[in-house]
Formats: sequence, C-alpha cells, structure tokens
Amino acid sequence: MRSKIDKILLIILLIAFSVSIYLIFQWVPQIKASNPAEQIAQRIFYFHVPSAWLGFLAFFIVFCGSVAYLATRKRKYELISVASAEIGVLFISLVLITGPIWAKPVWGIWWTWDVRLTSSLILWLIYVAFLMLRRYLPDGSKRANLSAVVGIIGFTDVPIVYYSIRWWETQHPKAVMASSDGSLAAPMFFAFMFSLATFTLLYVYLIRKRYQLLTLEDTLNKQFKEMEIL
Amino acid sequence: MMRTAISILKKDLRMEFRSKESILAMWIFSLLIFVIFNFTFEVSRLVMLEIAPGLLWVAFVFSGMFGLNQSFALEKENGNLRAMALMPVDGGQIYVGKFFSVTIIMLMFEALIFPIFIIFYDLQLSLGMFRLIPVLLAGTIGFTSLGTILSAVAVHTRNQQILLSLLLWPLVSPIIIWSVTLTGMVLSGEVTAAFYPLLLRVGAFDVIFFTLSYMLFDFILED
Repeated sequence: MRSKIDKILLIILLIAFSVSIYLIFQWVPQIKASNPAEQIAQRIFYFHVPSAWLGFLAFFIVFCGSVAYLATRKRKYELISVASAEIGVLFISLVLITGPIWAKPVWGIWWTWDVRLTSSLILWLIYVAFLMLRRYLPDGSKRANLSAVVGIIGFTDVPIVYYSIRWWETQHPKAVMASSDGSLAAPMFFAFMFSLATFTLLYVYLIRKRYQLLTLEDTLNKQFKEMEIL
Repeated sequence: MMRTAISILKKDLRMEFRSKESILAMWIFSLLIFVIFNFTFEVSRLVMLEIAPGLLWVAFVFSGMFGLNQSFALEKENGNLRAMALMPVDGGQIYVGKFFSVTIIMLMFEALIFPIFIIFYDLQLSLGMFRLIPVLLAGTIGFTSLGTILSAVAVHTRNQQILLSLLLWPLVSPIIIWSVTLTGMVLSGEVTAAFYPLLLRVGAFDVIFFTLSYMLFDFILED
C-alpha cells in the first residue's frame, strides 16, 4: 500500500515537473526589462521562491516533530523531524545557489548582506548545526531529546533572525504576490502557483521516502543487534 | 524553592574565585584578539571608532565561549553530570544556577577588559558611557541564556567546543547585531530616539530565550 502511494506520487511528480518546466520556459511571456540577461534570469524565480517556501515548511515540520516527540516520546516523530531538517537544508541550499545566479546579471554582484540573504544564510547555518549535532551523538533517546530541544529553539529563532536585520535597506525584490498593483501578470501567477504546488508535492514525496529509509535503517540495526547477541 | 539553583551558583562561583581559570583565560584571550586585530587591520583612528563596538563584541563572544564550555565540561568529570540528572529536583533549577554563574563570570570579565579596550583604542570616557551598562547586561544575558542550554547540549558530544560555537552563533546573532548597534550609539555619543526601544527589544528576547531554555532544560538532563 505504502509503495503504491509512492509510485502514484512519483508519476504525478514527473508529469507535474514536466508541465511546470514547459510553463516556465515556454508558456510564460517574456518580462519587459532593459537588460536582456534579466529577462532570462527572471525565470529562476519559479524555482527560487518555491524552494524557499519548501525550506520554511520543512523547518516548521521539524519544530512540530520536535514538540510532538518531547510530548509523546515516539520514535516516529524524531525521524520525521530529522527527515524534514535534511530536506529543509537541501532546499535552502538551493535558494542560496539560485539567488546569486539571478543576482549576478541583475544586480551585478553575487552576494550582498541584505536582510533576506543574510537571514536565509543564518537559517541554513542553524539547521546544518542541528544535523551536525546528530552526527556527533550516538543513537538513542539522549540524541532524540537533545535534537528536539535544538529543533524547538532553532525555529523560535527564525522570526527573530529575520526581525533583527529588517531595518537595513533591502535590495531584494518585494514579495510580488502581496503587491496590490498586480505586478505579477496572470500567466506568471499561474505558472508560479503551479510550480509552488509541484514543489510542495515533491516535499511530501521526499519526506515519505526519507522517513521510510530511516525506519528501514532502524529495523536493520535492530536485527544486527539481535545477531550480535546470538 | 530556588535552593538548588543557589547552591549550584555558589559552588560555581567559589570554584571560579579559587582557580580564576575562566576569567583569566577569557581576559587574556580578549587581549590577544585586540592585539591581533591591531596588526591585521591597520586602520586609522577614525575608522577604528566605527568598528570598535563590533570588535568589543567579537572579543566578548569569542572569549565567552571559554566560560560556556567550561561550565558543563567541569560537571562531566567524575560523572557529576549524571549525578545532577539524578537529583530529585526540577531541571530548570540547574539551568537557573548555571545561567547565573556563567553570566556573573562573564560580566566580571567584561568589567575587567573594558578599561583595556578604552586605553587601547583611545576612547573618550564620558558620563554617557554609563548607558553602556544596560547594553552590556542585556547583550550578555541574551548570549548566556542561550549559551547555557546549548552548552548543556554540546557537552554530550565528542566535539563539544566546536559544536557549541556552531549551534550558538547563528542562534544568538540577532542579539549580537542589536548589541553592536547599541554599543556603537553609546561609544559615538549619538544616542538617538531608537536607543531605548531597541534596548527594550533585546531585553524582551532575553526573557523569551531564558523562559524557553528554562522550560526545555529538563529534557536535556534526561537519559
């Protein structure tokens, strides 16, 4: 049953990604920009923003998993938060890579210490430390407890980090969805939402897969231990 | 009710005053930071004034790691950490005791290094400098409230010292950013209307970090 759902998910994902790539590179009209490089670079937005959204979603799940673990002590929640932290770090890494690729032709620089960029980098560092902590600890309830505590503190810190850098002048484009003057044209909006949905589905698929793998590892370790006893 | 916290605090301070291990190490290390900084960035006095607040906090944060690492590393000897976990008291009490001992040691170190900082970078002393006291207090409490709980987390790992830095620095960066801004305002004598709201904000986050750590500390001791 489990693998059947995964198979269906995978097929849907393959189709959805093909469609969104078509939408992004063929269907969406060219934006009007004086710089020709910017017209092409702009299309990275459809990958950049959904990756960022996915990163935040993943870290929120880490937080939920950590709270649920401390409340119930079920291994399941620990594994979910670990799987989610890994995916979150992966997608924030993508954000940090796609951002500079866009910034170079448009701003002329790879990096600037602007609020969004800096807070994304700090966020990335927080969760890399979370994963490293787990690396350094032997498996067991101690590790589960400690990482859950860090998972909770880490997520509480996210808005504070963002807030702390806010008043600096920002170079980063505004949240286009929020602007009332309709700066995001209808086809662009559709392509963006489609990409967002596809990425969210990808998260669901990845976390299921990673969770299954972690459970398998658990079973394997248990069997090894039993063999050692014999 | 706070008896456990107070006895831990007393014990830690007594140990520190007898050995002076942490304070001395922190003080010398800060001195080194100032010296190295001077040779790596040979800047004019005007530029120096601009970067002095940042330098001061770099010295505090780097040196503060000594105190934080020491705080729980000491307990690891002779299985003391386990004994603490077995104590039939609320884990939060241990946190409070440890937090106060680390904070007091760090504040004392700051008081001892500040005159050196003033002399080295030729800063003008004025009455307005007293505003620095709440700034240092708020910034340090933010740093140690998170630092204490994360030190207790990191002490369970092989690479305690590096891991504590990796965990703590990104999390505490907002507090440091604000503290540097506030220190800069005081040192340059340009205390604007934004000063007190910002100070209050640091204080508010101190309270949040302290409360959160207090609540979560029980889970760290558990086996």
